Amino acid sequence: MSRISLLKCIAVLGLLASCRSEKPATLEEYPRWVGDIGFDSNLDDPAFQLCKDDYRAKQYFNMNEGVQFEGEKPAIDTYFKNAYKKPENSNQSGLIRIRFMVNCKGETGRFRLISSNNEYQSMAFSEEISTQLLELTKGLEGWKPLKMNSLEVDYYQYLIFRIEKGEIIEILP
Amino acid sequence: MRKSPFLFFFLFVSLQNGISQPNCLAFQYAGEETKYLSCLETEKCAGHYQFSREFQTHLDHAIALDSTWGYPYRAKSVAYLKSGEFIRWKQLVDKAVLYNPADNLGYRGWCRYQFFRDYTGAIADIEKLETIVNYDIGYSVNGDYHLKVAKALCYKALNQKEKAIEIIEAHFLSEEYFPGNYDYLHLGVLYLETGQSEKAQEAFLLQQERNPIAESHYYLAIDYFQ
Repeated sequence: MSRISLLKCIAVLGLLASCRSEKPATLEEYPRWVGDIGFDSNLDDPAFQLCKDDYRAKQYFNMNEGVQFEGEKPAIDTYFKNAYKKPENSNQSGLIRIRFMVNCKGETGRFRLISSNNEYQSMAFSEEISTQLLELTKGLEGWKPLKMNSLEVDYYQYLIFRIEKGEIIEILP
Repeated sequence: MRKSPFLFFFLFVSLQNGISQPNCLAFQYAGEETKYLSCLETEKCAGHYQFSREFQTHLDHAIALDSTWGYPYRAKSVAYLKSGEFIRWKQLVDKAVLYNPADNLGYRGWCRYQFFRDYTGAIADIEKLETIVNYDIGYSVNGDYHLKVAKALCYKALNQKEKAIEIIEAHFLSEEYFPGNYDYLHLGVLYLETGQSEKAQEAFLLQQERNPIAESHYYLAIDYFQ
């Protein structure tokens, strides 16, 4: 191969390499993991501390143990059934998800809420519903610390509330 | 090497029906170059956790190469599903359904049932799937239920128990029926809840014969007690 041909090849390869590394305009920026919740001083209680670094936090199902709560799922259902006050004359229906972190002591923090209508389109519920559920979830005690390979972990947990005309009809997972 | 028609058929079938990583060479063989390149990009997800930045970014690159291929949308959606982020999940899985309804309607329907107790949405997806394919509609993604049984469970949750029984009974009589792990338990409970005690007993005993789980003993005891 002549020197000129070799240079042409290098130029073409360089061009291809630069094309591959060009980022399409539509690409999203991601945290370490989808749904990671960083500390926000405007929202979060600084007293809540993870036992390890943020980047070591797991999802609750990573340990293949399902939801770990004292009294299991019935205890969660009973808590909300007893504590939640359905607003009068509410016509709001849809889904509310409250996601948060549980540290290695079973303490909770960094709560975040999203909500949608029954067609999964973003929709804000009245504060009587959303703030009430957020505060009740913050007050829910009984999350068990989890371990992975015998080591304690911090983990992400969520609760989804299916709401029908202001009433809780299902709590998931 | 001479390319065998059989090989092409095998690759094509595995590509259409599979929900795991597709065989990219099938796209190349079929002359679908952009899909082939997109598929190669999805292969880079191997070894990365589905929640991870790397996993999601490779899939974004795949979509940028071919935005009409359902697979990367569905693959992206899983992390959102598992973290309960239903708004983003639905946007992504809707794209998967749009570009490949036959492979994704049953999946979306099952997820609506399992993760969100969206019974009417699940029924709509499964019934839509039944109208667009002329083969067995298949199973829930966890393999526990045939989608016809899943549909029946949704009707049961909507308090249409007779309709649920009708669906399961018809499914049991179909040529494609293969007994599921919990089918007779659910049918038994439906009989029990509609006052058909003898049929319920028969179903619970069949459940015990095939897969003796605690629930069949429990409901059989309730049935005997009544």
